Amino acid sequence: MAKKSEEKELTIEEAFSAVDEKIKELEKSDVSLEDSFKLFKEGMDLLKHCNDSIDKVEKKVQKVMADGQTEDFE
Amino acid sequence: MRNVYTVEQINSYIKNMFRQDFLLSSLTVKGEISNCKYHSSGHIYFTLKDASGAISCVMFRGHAATGLKFKMQEGQQVQVTGSVDIYERDGKYQLYATKIELDGAGALFERFEKLKKELAERGMFAQEYKQEIPKHIKTLGVVTAPTGAAVRDIINISTRRNPYVQIYLYPAIVQGDQAKDSIVRGISTLTDMNVDVIIVGRGGGSIEDLWAFNEEEVAEAIFNCPIPIISAVGHETDWTIADFVADLRAPTPSAAAELAVYEIGLLLQDIDAYADILYRRMNEKIERLRDKAASDKRLLEHLSPAAKIRDQRMRAAQSAERLERLITDIIREKRHLLDVDIERLKALSPLDKLQSGFSYVSDEKGKNIRSIKAVSAGDKLEINVSDGVIGAEVVEVKKRSYK
Repeated sequence: MAKKSEEKELTIEEAFSAVDEKIKELEKSDVSLEDSFKLFKEGMDLLKHCNDSIDKVEKKVQKVMADGQTEDFE
Repeated sequence: MRNVYTVEQINSYIKNMFRQDFLLSSLTVKGEISNCKYHSSGHIYFTLKDASGAISCVMFRGHAATGLKFKMQEGQQVQVTGSVDIYERDGKYQLYATKIELDGAGALFERFEKLKKELAERGMFAQEYKQEIPKHIKTLGVVTAPTGAAVRDIINISTRRNPYVQIYLYPAIVQGDQAKDSIVRGISTLTDMNVDVIIVGRGGGSIEDLWAFNEEEVAEAIFNCPIPIISAVGHETDWTIADFVADLRAPTPSAAAELAVYEIGLLLQDIDAYADILYRRMNEKIERLRDKAASDKRLLEHLSPAAKIRDQRMRAAQSAERLERLITDIIREKRHLLDVDIERLKALSPLDKLQSGFSYVSDEKGKNIRSIKAVSAGDKLEINVSDGVIGAEVVEVKKRSYK
């Protein structure tokens, strides 16, 4: 229940809502081409961050022992 | 004559009857405790009663150590398991207890309601303390028994949804005396490991089986845990204190895994979809600007001096053509008028008249003579004919009328 200390790293949800903002900006008609490219790149960078933040290694379930050590579960 | 028996004989006869009775040798009796005495020897003497009557009971020290898990109090509803036998010294029968339990559901339910009320009053179920379950976790802690369906369900569903999430299983004892301490230790161990979410739970069972999740210590451990906790105790219809105090209550262990672990496939799809939208918006932007450039170009071309010159040149050419056409028309018309005049003149020509026998008479000064009054005898005249002039002199003037 007590709140966990805040992490600085952008979460995937935060990254998604940031991309939403970029898209909204990009849809405005009065944005210059230069700014559009900037928004586009920032959006793609955020998505890359999302993708990179997924550690794509399959994990084995770890059993936690009494002493805090872990071992493969079965 | 009848036989006469000794007390010993009759007591031993009855005892023998009791011993041979199948039911009396092993049974469970329920009732309310009264006259309970914990003897210094360790034996416990009490009476079990209900509305209709009472039965004396005794639990010997050896059985009390294993078959009794609580301090008996007057008025408690209990179930006593043991055998009924004769106590020959007093000539009465007694229930020899080997196990005494609080009368299940009733007593436990009472405890449950009491603790629930207490914790609710302390605010431990308040919505404002509930932590949000993070949507995209990397590590999942599980406090449950290492065997059985619950742990299997959690692992299967988690790994099916997202095999990249690291599961840490704390193999807890989830039933019996040691359960509450084991669960509390599990929560604190996984908290120290700083996992993203913890599932605390077990599979279905009786209210007694699930009891550890109704213990105050477990509730406090869940409440004080800085990591979001999903409770998953028993089946959908089982509600425990742990469910009320947890940040999120899952109806079953399987459901808990679904609530805790996001589907990796969907996330990857989302990322692709966002990238698509970005590409599309950018292309639309470029297309729009390209269109604008093209229309600006047309506008500029329209406004350029070259266009003006071309326009004027065109106008000049058109004017010239028109002028030419006009002058041609005028010339043609004039020529026509001339032809008409020529014809008319031809008709009036004196030469033709001379040719046809008429002649033109003038005086010496060339003045045309039209009347006798213009001449007198002796005047010189000139008579013009078709091929020359004849000189003549007036001989006589005679008046004649043609009317």
